[in-house]
Amino acid sequence: MKDIFRVRRMWRPRSELKKRYDVVIVGGGSHGLATAYYLAKNHGITNVAVLEQSYIGSGAAGRNTTIIRSNYRTPEGAEFYKRSVELYERLSGELDFNLMFSQHGHLTLAHTDSSLRVMQERAEVNQILDIDSRVVYPEEIARLCPQLDLSDTPTWPIMGALYHAPGGIIRHDAVVWGLARGADRAGAELHQNTTVTGIETDGGRVTAVQTNRGRVEADVFISATAGWSTLVCGMAGVRLPITTHILQAFVTEPVKPFLDVIIVSAQMHVYVSQTDRGEFLIGAEIEPYTTYKSTGTFSFLEYSARHVLELFPQLERLKVLRAWTGLCDLSPDYSPILGATELENFHLSAGWGTYGFKAAPIVGTTLAELVASGKTPTLIAPFALERFHSDTLVSELAAAAVSH
Amino acid sequence: MRLRSQPGERIDRSHPIQFTYAGKELTGFAGDTVGSALFAAGRRVFSRSFKYHRPRGLLCCSGRCPNCMMTVDGVPNVRVCVELLRPGVDVRDQNVLGSADRDLLGVVDKVGGPFTPVGFYYRTMIRPRRAWPLYEKVLRNLAGLGRIGDTRNGHGRFDTVHRRVDVLVIGGGPAGRAAAAAVDGDVLLVDDRVGHDAPYDVLAPATALGIYEGGLVPVAAGNVLYRIRAGRIVVATGALEQLLLFSGNDLVGVMLPDGVRRMVDEWAVKPGDRAVLVGEGAVGVKLQLARAGVEIAAASLRPESLSAHGRRGRLTSVLLDGERVDCDLLVVSGGLQPAYSLLAQAGARIEYEPRRGIFVPTELPDGVAVVGAAAGGIDQTPVAAVLDGRGDKCFVCICEDVTTKDVKRALAEGFDSIELAKRYTTVTMGPCQGKLCQLAATRLLARETDTDESAIGTTTARPPWTPVELGLLAGRHHEPAKRTPLHSRHETLGAEMIWTGQWRRAFQYGDPAAEVRAVHESLGLIDVSTLGKVLVEGPGAPALLDRLYPNRFSDLKPGRIRYGVVTSDGGRIMDDGTVARLGDELFYVTTTSTGSEGVVEWFEWWNAIWGYDAEIVNVTGALAAMNLAGPRAREALAPLTGADLANESFRYLDAKEIAVAGVPCLALRIGFVGELGYELHCPAADAGVVWDALVAAGATPFGLEAQRVLRLEKGHVIVGQDTDSESNLVSARMQWTIKDDKPDFVGKGAVPHLQVRERLVGFTADVLPPEGAQVVREGRIAGRVTSARVSERVGRVIGLAWVEPEIAEEGATIAIRVDGAMRDAAVTLAAFYDPEGTLLRS
Repeated sequence: MKDIFRVRRMWRPRSELKKRYDVVIVGGGSHGLATAYYLAKNHGITNVAVLEQSYIGSGAAGRNTTIIRSNYRTPEGAEFYKRSVELYERLSGELDFNLMFSQHGHLTLAHTDSSLRVMQERAEVNQILDIDSRVVYPEEIARLCPQLDLSDTPTWPIMGALYHAPGGIIRHDAVVWGLARGADRAGAELHQNTTVTGIETDGGRVTAVQTNRGRVEADVFISATAGWSTLVCGMAGVRLPITTHILQAFVTEPVKPFLDVIIVSAQMHVYVSQTDRGEFLIGAEIEPYTTYKSTGTFSFLEYSARHVLELFPQLERLKVLRAWTGLCDLSPDYSPILGATELENFHLSAGWGTYGFKAAPIVGTTLAELVASGKTPTLIAPFALERFHSDTLVSELAAAAVSH
Repeated sequence: MRLRSQPGERIDRSHPIQFTYAGKELTGFAGDTVGSALFAAGRRVFSRSFKYHRPRGLLCCSGRCPNCMMTVDGVPNVRVCVELLRPGVDVRDQNVLGSADRDLLGVVDKVGGPFTPVGFYYRTMIRPRRAWPLYEKVLRNLAGLGRIGDTRNGHGRFDTVHRRVDVLVIGGGPAGRAAAAAVDGDVLLVDDRVGHDAPYDVLAPATALGIYEGGLVPVAAGNVLYRIRAGRIVVATGALEQLLLFSGNDLVGVMLPDGVRRMVDEWAVKPGDRAVLVGEGAVGVKLQLARAGVEIAAASLRPESLSAHGRRGRLTSVLLDGERVDCDLLVVSGGLQPAYSLLAQAGARIEYEPRRGIFVPTELPDGVAVVGAAAGGIDQTPVAAVLDGRGDKCFVCICEDVTTKDVKRALAEGFDSIELAKRYTTVTMGPCQGKLCQLAATRLLARETDTDESAIGTTTARPPWTPVELGLLAGRHHEPAKRTPLHSRHETLGAEMIWTGQWRRAFQYGDPAAEVRAVHESLGLIDVSTLGKVLVEGPGAPALLDRLYPNRFSDLKPGRIRYGVVTSDGGRIMDDGTVARLGDELFYVTTTSTGSEGVVEWFEWWNAIWGYDAEIVNVTGALAAMNLAGPRAREALAPLTGADLANESFRYLDAKEIAVAGVPCLALRIGFVGELGYELHCPAADAGVVWDALVAAGATPFGLEAQRVLRLEKGHVIVGQDTDSESNLVSARMQWTIKDDKPDFVGKGAVPHLQVRERLVGFTADVLPPEGAQVVREGRIAGRVTSARVSERVGRVIGLAWVEPEIAEEGATIAIRVDGAMRDAAVTLAAFYDPEGTLLRS
């Protein structure tokens, strides 16, 4: 409470870049900052620089639709995100910064018997892993979200849903700022407007990164650059099986509370939530083409509006205020690429597609552990880059296609 | 309360219009907006602000600011200053506890300020964690503006019109009109004001929402969305009047010059009694004020200090350069700013021009031009970031109630770039989309950080240019549905129809178990027109198919059929179906119901690389197909065709062209459902004839559910249900389809590396598990059930499951979790029914 009367800097102003750090993290988004934070908190490693080409949280961390959940399909994915949700639940208190994590519940709608079957499978996997997740039918959906059009009128009537009570939304910028403050206070340096322009390697190791502000050496380097992963890793000669696509979202004008739960419909290619500010936050699927051009498309607004109205016809006169795009780094199996690379001291967090934000704390914890111990934590072993050589992919495709 | 008739007024005094505000009957005129009618009726407070619930009145009168948002006919957040008055319209206050005049939440402004600085919610309500949901509920209810009604409240339907023009001019001011008039040819001018007579085409009132790739400009015009494709685009969107920053700059009675101009000229209402004018733009309304009989108490082009003061949120006086002036109207202008958003969004660069204190668009994208004030054709001197003067709050952003103090605090906390400050304070994120606050925020940041505006820059321009209704974007909803040529037959029979992909299919006709029985014991008939059907024809066809599939088709004899699985280059199962060779160079390929388009695209994609001399033709919609199956199939079909159906002449896996009830059919003797069967493919138009003849011959129609049971008894997989995006042919126990001696095929490179982390097996059980149930072994997940049904024929529950290789052995016991309890099941590797396929061959 006292903090509301006292003006304190969140983080120190940018200092000069040192010549050398213990750890250099490329990317000042949720993953990079979480890694810096947990390096300090869990392992006491504070001689760390986070290099961000723009402002912190300017990429996917500030553009996602802020949904946190763990009801994934594969045991590997579900276990991983379960840990992430648990970390998120504690994070406001830990950072002493209110991330406004609201676990109002998450409904993934099924409009066909085949999607109902997928929901059932996810529920079964989740229950075995002790994740609160079950299939519900229209009668219960009507209680959880009476605003939904559950009649036979829509082209694709709602047959059921996967209900995930701990699922929720969070204030995404607050996550970035809270982690940044935590990392900064522990001693890590934040370097905004610092672009990596080259990566020097020697004998299977990264020796230094070149930036627009000079050359920096370190013992360990981490790339946490989401949509730019292939470009950054390419500088180190590390090739990734990743394509970059755009994902679009929009908000409406603020209105009084109408919708508490999060509604996701893969059939309608849309997910809908209402923020604490009263805006509806609506996202869609990634665009099928690869691009770095972040101009949005009008057809996105059209089909998203159409699909939202199939679910909530009452929103017909609600106005779209602002649309934006973000870059998504997509891996072939929709699972992330996390941990070590063929370069001994170069680790990465990439391939997150549309759901990296949900994983920030667990990525930070596990990457920090990897740096500190030199060993890949078991939890993230299935997501190693190596799997594309050994062909042991983790198919999250069925659950991730549009499942925010 | 109207002025005498004004030159060019929009109202028609001979047509009074009745409407209600807060339940009270009021009268306006045709041509009024809801806002002007309310103002003429004496209303001054139109809304309460987002955070502090301060009274707000008309400011811009052009639909940009948030001050006049009210609920009209149940629709929240309507900007009444531009909403045309309609008879009987029901206008209500929103976001108030009480009324706009007496809002109990106004207390937030009086006492809440110190407790609710910018970002206060990030620093409070953290502990105890369990209390957050309660706090949040309060916050949520305080936030938001209007309220969504319970029902659909559209005033009619929305439509979309597609149009193309050579030249599109956006904006109907002098520059826009001149640009349109100068075009010799196909030109359209879009104007958000009422239209004007012109020798060129005019669309008005209408608002361009954005400039998208390919010259696409969506334009909102009432309930019609125009999707305009333009060869060239001329942006003439003019300039936006900016808010000036001073204490009390949001009081009711503070207005922008353009608002005053419209009020007098268009609606003939008197904006106030005693006015103070501040800023270059404001002095331009002297004429209007004089006509309206408003006394001008003071005027200043460039004051040093200014603060506004009021009572109950309404302006009563100003302190202008230290001098107190009583007034009820303060016309202020923070200068003009080119309306560049459409251009920025189209890809133009925005650059600060210090001489006039504005941001101007440069480096325009191809095919886009800008003219007039939007191009920077503005003559003004820069105004100060903030006019000092003590007193009330000074708002940078009136949408979100962000004060200069908030912005300064954000800077002090380290949110020192425009984008960070925006996200932290929410300045420019409100309903005005930054139209009134973008420049002010930049100026303030520049001043506070001792840099200049060009170093600060602007936030990214985001579409749409004006908030647009979801209904208008959606247009009329047409969700495509594919119906088979036999759809009406199923409806007549009372079938339950379900979606499979975009297809509507008969799920069952009342008793699926009886349908299954009919197929096993007598004769069944199912509509399988949804199967993808593809002709592959040409000298290169055999080689092409050999390379597309893991198995071989070049050695398939004409008239014979072979099962084929399409795999990805990673060796993953993508689709399956049958391939019938109809001639040396002609193959008839079937795919799954949902896979046809993907398979055709896949085939074409590869052949575009390989260049075989072969045509790939998707004939899915042209042909119908139905499967006649059951022990009586041969005897029932025989009388309807002249063809020889004897087992020796029409063998299992033969394909023959025969006539059925006079209709030419391609008959495929295959057995997805496990009994003697003929899959008849015929022209879609004649499908009804064949169907009716077969039903008359005693065939019982069966639906998808019966087919699922029947195929499961045979252990046949459904791609997408029993396989997922990682399944491969080895783990699915279909390695027999891989002909690895071929020089090349899609996925060949992956074959040696295919992992068998799990295998697809059959199982029998006593309890029916849900599809998706998990196989558990030693407390961890060791597999999953993909299909399960009760089979009368087998007398047990049967199913397919993926299990770890160690337990994928005939007879092995596996544990399946059903409703939280572990149930045993026995692994079966062979088909549950007729494992040798004797029936199919008989």
